[in-house]
Amino acid sequence: MSTDTTQVRVPSPAPATSRRGKGINSQTGAGWLFVAPTVLILGIFLFVPVLMAAWVSVSDWNGRGSPFGGTTNFVGGANYAEMLGGRGLPARDFGTSLRNNLYYVVLVVPLQTALALTLAFLVNKRSLKGKGFFRTAFYFPSVTSSVAITVLWLFLFSASGAVNGVLSTLSIQGPNWFQDPRGIIHLILGGGDAPDALSRPGFLGISPWEWMAGPSVAMCAFILMAIFTTSGTFMLLFLAALQSIGEETDEAAMVDGASTWQRFWHVTLPLLRPTLFTVITLGLIGTWQVFDQIYTGSQGGPSKTTLTPAFLSYTSAFESQRWGRGAAIAFILFAIIVVFTLVQRLVLGQADPTEPNRRQLKQDARSREKAASAALDPTVAVQGSKGVD
Amino acid sequence: MKNNQLRLGIAAVSAVTLAALTACSSGAAAPSGAASPSGDLSANTNPVSVLIGSSGDAETTAVQAGVAAWSKQSGVPAEVKVASDLTQQATQGFAGGKPDDVLYVSTDALAGWAENGSLEAYGDQLSNKADFYPGLVQAFTVDDKFYCAPKDFSTLALVINKSLWTDAGLTDNDVPKTWADLESVAKKLTKGKVKGLVVSNEVQRLGAFMAQNGGGLVTDGKATANSQQNIDALAFVKKMLTEGSAAFNSDVGAGWGGEALGKNLAAMVIEGNWITGAKKDYPNLDYTVAELPAGTKQGTLQYTNCWGIATDADNKEGAKSLVEFLTTKDQQLAFAKAFGVMPSVQSAADGYKADNAAMVPFINGAAYAQNLPAMEGASDVFGELNSKLAKLKGSDPKTILDGTQTDLEAIVG
Amino acid sequence: MARTSKAGAAGERQGYGWVINWAILFAIALVYIFPFLIQVANSFKSDTEATNAGLALWSNNWTQAAYTTLFANSNFGVWTMNSLIVTVLVTAGRVFFVSLAGYALARLHFPGRKVVFAMLIGVMAVPGVVLLIPKFLVIKQLGMYDTYFGMILPLLVDAAGVFIMKNFFESIPVAVEEAARIDGASTFRTFWSIVLPMARPALMTIIILSFQGSWNELNHFIVSTQSPELTTLTRGVASLASGQLSSGNQFPIKLAAATLMTIPVAVMFFVFQRRIMNSTGGAVKD
Repeated sequence: MSTDTTQVRVPSPAPATSRRGKGINSQTGAGWLFVAPTVLILGIFLFVPVLMAAWVSVSDWNGRGSPFGGTTNFVGGANYAEMLGGRGLPARDFGTSLRNNLYYVVLVVPLQTALALTLAFLVNKRSLKGKGFFRTAFYFPSVTSSVAITVLWLFLFSASGAVNGVLSTLSIQGPNWFQDPRGIIHLILGGGDAPDALSRPGFLGISPWEWMAGPSVAMCAFILMAIFTTSGTFMLLFLAALQSIGEETDEAAMVDGASTWQRFWHVTLPLLRPTLFTVITLGLIGTWQVFDQIYTGSQGGPSKTTLTPAFLSYTSAFESQRWGRGAAIAFILFAIIVVFTLVQRLVLGQADPTEPNRRQLKQDARSREKAASAALDPTVAVQGSKGVD
Repeated sequence: MKNNQLRLGIAAVSAVTLAALTACSSGAAAPSGAASPSGDLSANTNPVSVLIGSSGDAETTAVQAGVAAWSKQSGVPAEVKVASDLTQQATQGFAGGKPDDVLYVSTDALAGWAENGSLEAYGDQLSNKADFYPGLVQAFTVDDKFYCAPKDFSTLALVINKSLWTDAGLTDNDVPKTWADLESVAKKLTKGKVKGLVVSNEVQRLGAFMAQNGGGLVTDGKATANSQQNIDALAFVKKMLTEGSAAFNSDVGAGWGGEALGKNLAAMVIEGNWITGAKKDYPNLDYTVAELPAGTKQGTLQYTNCWGIATDADNKEGAKSLVEFLTTKDQQLAFAKAFGVMPSVQSAADGYKADNAAMVPFINGAAYAQNLPAMEGASDVFGELNSKLAKLKGSDPKTILDGTQTDLEAIVG
Repeated sequence: MARTSKAGAAGERQGYGWVINWAILFAIALVYIFPFLIQVANSFKSDTEATNAGLALWSNNWTQAAYTTLFANSNFGVWTMNSLIVTVLVTAGRVFFVSLAGYALARLHFPGRKVVFAMLIGVMAVPGVVLLIPKFLVIKQLGMYDTYFGMILPLLVDAAGVFIMKNFFESIPVAVEEAARIDGASTFRTFWSIVLPMARPALMTIIILSFQGSWNELNHFIVSTQSPELTTLTRGVASLASGQLSSGNQFPIKLAAATLMTIPVAVMFFVFQRRIMNSTGGAVKD
């Protein structure tokens, strides 16, 4: 090997990146060796399964033997058509699950983002004593298992549970949360019967009246649980962003006479845009896949109002033995998540229009944060606003 | 060019792993590689696993005792597992190639599992085949193959909490015989936290009312879900719910009728033979059983499960021997005593009546009991119907049943 | 002068605002903490008391019946052991594999590096729910269904962890490695003895996140196992909460189970909270 070194152009002008010196072979070898376990495991257990599921979703595999075996036939888009086009029970179940999950997403994502942002803002105030305590308190629920929290929630929201106890001190009769299938929009509209015009089956076999039902009372309990458990994580993201923005800009705006609201809306928020983007993207991806809580807590009830596509995919396969249907639902859900993430990118705009994909955006945001904090470093140290207490 | 390299690389990786996987799969595809030697029990000592969906501790203990007795006698180790979701666990076991050897199979589940070959049709090989009630054998025959041995059967009846009954000043003469009686008695019994009648919101209980009104979900092979008799039956239940003299289990915070009865939340419930399990959970409970009140006629629902044996079982001979043991007259009478179900063998009928005088209304119900439809896809239709029945108080029975009619027409015939 | 006077006024305003701010935050913090206090308190009450007086944090009849029944009537010990085995092995494995891959992507040049990078991104983009059924199929095909192997192997690598390590390694000055190279160390030696020890903070992050992730994992265990002997805490407690094994109002047992299963993660959290919260702020992981 030492002879090789002398033949290589040793005085290479770019030292940091091109170490084409001794050991390029060992670098290749070592490189592949090092990533081999990762590639293998991710490939086999994440990449290939997606391909296998794609096959199952266009086949009629019945659950026994291998999906590639002799008795399984190709059925084209039949499973997808059954979900999206038909009026039968499978399509209605899918429509119901989509409706439920849609309300869940539409309520959880904005609420948890707003709450996380508010908490981050309040906790970031320089004058706050006990920052560590607050950060811990708000982040703790995110650390616990979804199973443990669901069990706790089932207790708190039971008919005679703590939540109804608190409501009764305000003279409100709380509902039997997890057993109540009434949609809140229906309740707000007075809880009457469905008008005939809206009762005919519509999109995906669900009538417009049912589409308008809003999340059921039971689903609201789950919505509250989601906000409770994830606001802490996102609060930390916002906190990190706020701390890297630093106080300079805010103080400058204050000196210029801007009110608190103006400062927030026109100065801080635009600087937070990358983080906001990340938080909302993560929120969307997470809420569209809600499964653990439904599996542990309500299994889709009451009256299928907490049925979600992820759970429906699971039960179609693992209970009703309709593996093709279950796989088809999973892929449709995948498509929905991609669409929502793209729409969100369009709506929120991008920080830099020349960065086309999310990874680049995150890296960009991170490097901008690093640069910003480095620039502000001397002043930060003096003001002590980097809260390591 | 970089993009091409990228795509090529990804294609290569996926092709290689997919090829490897398919190669692996053809090896693992053949089900039940290790065939058990036929006839000779002593040669196959694989443990026999039994998956049950228990109605309570009483049933679990009784089944464990029966299985342990067989295990001692045959020398083959055996284990009872209690499922928290029987259908899901069994389906996953079948699909994963590692099913339990013996499992409870209900009439709804039979169709699907028989059709995809998960279950072994061993019924004709049973030595006590002739002793089973013909109706039960019929329930477990698919395509002329008798799949599995009926393990017991039950009917639904009215179960009355004696102490709440006498507290309301009612006597034996007041036991309701008609719907009108039921309504007035339930009103009298409803006070404070106690509801006169508490029932599950499932068609598996409310269907009894349909039977009592001369209706039924499927009649003579045709779907009749939205017949007037069914609509009127549900309207009657709805009336009692809105009047407040009846409630659903979930409304009172109970998991099943036995719990509602035992915790004195209900004066009357509609449950099956398994109500005896409530006595073990709630020792202070004292109840009487009466035949369900008649609408236009007497009607009730009948349930039966069988001992299914998986095609991919590790020890089929052991499983068959176990099933034969568990369906003998003595073993069935022991189960009857423990959790009240009725033996599926005709030779045990007299013994049952003698041992369980309090349970005679159940066995009388067998004379006019109806079965819920059991063709493939039926349990999904019931799931949908049950989710609508949960909202019965605020809905129109006709709308609900019209929906069920459409769903049933899709799978019947 | 205007500036100082404005600042002074701001200071006074901050005086008032300070108290209100703190009060609001404290109230919200109480709402966040209260449920856990209720959980622990009610796990020590009797069934009826928990149902009727769930809100009370104090009881006159403390009892540990729930805990004793939990251990007597369910396989809680087995569940805990399984969770421990899986978590320890997965964490150890992840630390090793993820740091190897992260180093390779950060510092080594080999053909196909871009492919691997793209694959990692792609994997992170696939939502977990799509993988529920297919993972079951693959595990079954490979013959590792219902084994420890099937539970642990798929979890041994995690794309986000690779990114964390990669980012960290990229921040280590190249000079250190160059020095090692010149001294004749092989790539692996350089990695193992020189660079890895410097990565301790990032490794701690990986350890903490892996511990938390695998201890709280549910849906992978649903699809990869079915035997009672292989049930972990998450699946076990979920079966307590629903299905035929749970009935009506036996809340103290369920709350006791939830409390016990939260203790290890909670302890880890309180010990390492600063690191967890600082790293979560910078590196996104859920």
